[in-house]
Amino acid sequence: MMVLRRLLRKRWVLGVVFGLSLIYFLTSTLKQEERTIRDRTLLEVRDSDHRIPWKVRFNLGNSSRQITQCRNSIQGKTLLTDELGYVCERKDLLINGCCNVNAPSTRQYICKSCLANGCCSIYEYCVSCCLQPDKQPLLERFLNRAAEGFQNLFTAVEDHFELCLAKCRTSSQSVQHENTYRNPQAKYCYGESPPELLPV
Amino acid sequence: PALRSLFLFMHIMRNVVLKLYIILCVFPEYIVGFTGYFSAKARSLYISSALRSAGDGTLEWHIVPRENPASDFPSDFELVHIRQASPSSLLTLEDHPYIKRVTPQRKVFRSLKYIPSPEPAAPCNATRGTQKWQSWQSSRPFRRTSLSLGSGFWHATGRHSSRRLLRAIPRHVAQILQADVLWQMGHTGSGVKVAVFDTGLSEKHPHFKNVKERTNWTNEKTLDDGLGHGTFVAGVIASMRECQGFAPDSELHIFRVFTNNQVSYTSWFLDAFNYAILKKIDVLNLSIGGPDFMDHPFVDKVWELTANRVIMVSAIGNDGPLYGTLNNPADQMDVIGVGGIDFEDNIARFSSRGMTTWELPGGYGRVKPDIVTYGSGVRGSGMKEGCRSLSGTSVASPVVAGAVTLLASTVLNRELVNPASMKQALIASARRLPGVNMFEQGHGKLDLIRAYQILNSYRPQASLSPSYIDLTECPYMWPYCSQPIYYGGMPTIVNVTILNGMGVTGRIVDKPYLPQNGDHIDVAISYSPVLWPWAGYLAVSISVAKKAASWEGIAQGHVMVTVASPAENDVGGELTSTVKLPIKVKIVPTPPRSKRVLWDQYHNLRYPPGYFPRDNLRMKNDPLDWNGDHIHTNFRDMYQHLRSMGYFVEVLGAPITCFDASQYGTLLMVDSEEEYFPEEITKLRRDIDNGLSLIIFSDWYNTSVMRKVKFYDENTRQWWMPDTGGANIPALNDLISVWGMAFSDGLYEGDFTLADHDMYYASGCSIARFPEDGIVIAKNLKDQGAGAWFNVGQQPCWLTGNFLICVSLVQI
Repeated sequence: MMVLRRLLRKRWVLGVVFGLSLIYFLTSTLKQEERTIRDRTLLEVRDSDHRIPWKVRFNLGNSSRQITQCRNSIQGKTLLTDELGYVCERKDLLINGCCNVNAPSTRQYICKSCLANGCCSIYEYCVSCCLQPDKQPLLERFLNRAAEGFQNLFTAVEDHFELCLAKCRTSSQSVQHENTYRNPQAKYCYGESPPELLPV
Repeated sequence: PALRSLFLFMHIMRNVVLKLYIILCVFPEYIVGFTGYFSAKARSLYISSALRSAGDGTLEWHIVPRENPASDFPSDFELVHIRQASPSSLLTLEDHPYIKRVTPQRKVFRSLKYIPSPEPAAPCNATRGTQKWQSWQSSRPFRRTSLSLGSGFWHATGRHSSRRLLRAIPRHVAQILQADVLWQMGHTGSGVKVAVFDTGLSEKHPHFKNVKERTNWTNEKTLDDGLGHGTFVAGVIASMRECQGFAPDSELHIFRVFTNNQVSYTSWFLDAFNYAILKKIDVLNLSIGGPDFMDHPFVDKVWELTANRVIMVSAIGNDGPLYGTLNNPADQMDVIGVGGIDFEDNIARFSSRGMTTWELPGGYGRVKPDIVTYGSGVRGSGMKEGCRSLSGTSVASPVVAGAVTLLASTVLNRELVNPASMKQALIASARRLPGVNMFEQGHGKLDLIRAYQILNSYRPQASLSPSYIDLTECPYMWPYCSQPIYYGGMPTIVNVTILNGMGVTGRIVDKPYLPQNGDHIDVAISYSPVLWPWAGYLAVSISVAKKAASWEGIAQGHVMVTVASPAENDVGGELTSTVKLPIKVKIVPTPPRSKRVLWDQYHNLRYPPGYFPRDNLRMKNDPLDWNGDHIHTNFRDMYQHLRSMGYFVEVLGAPITCFDASQYGTLLMVDSEEEYFPEEITKLRRDIDNGLSLIIFSDWYNTSVMRKVKFYDENTRQWWMPDTGGANIPALNDLISVWGMAFSDGLYEGDFTLADHDMYYASGCSIARFPEDGIVIAKNLKDQGAGAWFNVGQQPCWLTGNFLICVSLVQI
């Protein structure tokens, strides 16, 4: 016991102990930072060599399917988009869920309020624009390159309508610093790029 | 036989509870059994003829009447009271051809001999630890009409009247809420999709039969629950054995949105919510919350969920008993916010309470939570198997979510079930707790069976929460009932929520009108232009009419509101629903100026609009000033004290230029963070010259401390700088400089006595300058600026002059 105590009082022993603790502290702190940095970027990076197994059925052009009932976007304050791409006011919605195409304000494949980067101010117009058949290559490119973080959502989507409904919603791509929108105006995007950051 | 007895023994031992019967024979009552079913008249005839033949006729006997619903129908036995029966008389009774046998009446005492199962005893601190999972504030920490059945507002909960078991046997919450009544009818939650947003669930957990899917939204590559919280919550909702949940057959969707370190990010929630919408989830339980109701992406997404017919249930928060502690999203109009009670029907101490603070300073908050239910010592599934006990509003939330899931499965026409109709059914059927105000209990405690009755007779309609305004009803309508109204006072605002079960979107038709009743009061209304999603606000502003300036009494009236929604079955048509809102107020003559105090709310700023540091630097657990700073929230004690001294306190939600100072004796400024307009300063100076008094509670402001309380916020990944100190002393100094007064930037703390009152001075400044002919009462306190330890966040710091040295504990 006494020998050990005397040994511990020696300066070089204390120096070694201090040095080892310092090395241990530095390595563990740096390692922790590295780990968190890696984890954080998981949701942001677009992985070009990891394809998510999407299975969206696109109906191109002449659809022989008879439309007797429509799904629609259900959530809007005043506007609704049905699965054929028509946007109408709630009062112009038919009982079968489709928009009344004869109503004066009903439009199909309308990209009102949408910018060149594919981001729109109004959700229903984003969905309608997205449903336009000429957007299909854009959507396929997005799906092929979508990050692993979106795997759950976009592998569960079954057809063009569900894809547009899901794609246009605000998501982790729409925010910066977690609780602020990148662009509070044009935040519904059908395109490949996230909303552009508004200059502060 | 030896083996059989061994198995029997093992079986008994495996049951945790041994039941013991003590049977007493109750002399001299006898059960006379007949050979068949006879009417009451026939039975008494047979017995009397049998006993007559028994002999001397000195036998005293009578039939004990049984008043129950079966008494109208034939029965095969009768209860007879025979005094001093002899065995021979009983035998002769049995001799009767229609009498089968005679047995003595028995009284049965049962007592449960409880043996606790061998699980680790969780000490009180452990359960409190689970509910106080607080990472830094802005992430999402844990913790988390005709509709009335016609009965009166006060319902008996049995708390004071019936005898109740005082032993602390852990209760099975689904059975206490009588879920078994619905189970016996065949309703077990089947066909309802319920999502649990929590820490996940392990694969093949023995308690769950219908886990449709588990998804992970965190950066940890696992779907399992490493903490136990998510398993517990899922168990309360849908466990099928042991501590059984409400809806064992419901379709469970497990969303892992928290890491094992209880960390989560808004971005994860956004993506997870989108998936829940795609999967057409019916009920979503969110046992988490935080004070940041200005997280617009999150709030917008919750609205989107509700608009997509997802019924959101969330915990109101564990920051009670302080007022002004409601958490988001439970404080939203479209979400069912759940508070906690214990099994004795007391509001749980931790349950967050007080009005919502979104509406400050110009308006008044809404009533939340919506309902309360058991959240203390509730049993639910353990991480791998077995059961455990937990407390917190994050436990009360899945109780309601499970109840909602079960209720949804009882409705034949699922179209009728939507976020509004479900909320309407829950609040209309809730049982009010006596002695508790509405900002603690909401509409009362959950009553599952009554909610079932209401939901199954539901027709789409609008309703109001609260459904009436009675400013005389105490203690339920506190704080309104604590002060009568008078002519010339600031208008009393009641923030009523409109729930619209007719459609996602709705509107108020025309202007709500006030019939000519109660013309002593002026009622002004403002309301949401669009009621979306499923709800909106109706602000009722009540003031006394000039003609009642010196009148005293009770005034009544009502407001009629008509709500309209697009009809789904009728193109271009609308569904309408008219609701009546009764109003009753007490009016007194206007008090003298000297008794009227005005509280400056306009200059009280708080988080989340900005980062305002806490007022008491010694307080470790809450770095933010987020409780509203209103006399009815965290300054409630001051309000009640002033009221008890006979003062009338009103709130100024507008700049100082907007009130008539000749009406008030004192302006009270407590913990002001906002700056002052030059016009405000000029006007205040004039007011004080004309007799207004000013009381200022100045708090602290020190730049080195402010620099030190800046921190790196994990959630937003940014550095947060405080917008000002505990109070904005430079702005206050601008205000009072005209009188030659100023506050310092010193920091003091200590105990002092004024008259007979012992007080504690926590983190405040001192008076730097005061007119010579003024009166200054001074006390030597501990100068934290001269070198004192206090806590900044979790770190102990030493403040000396301009330097702040803090000890950081590095986590290795």
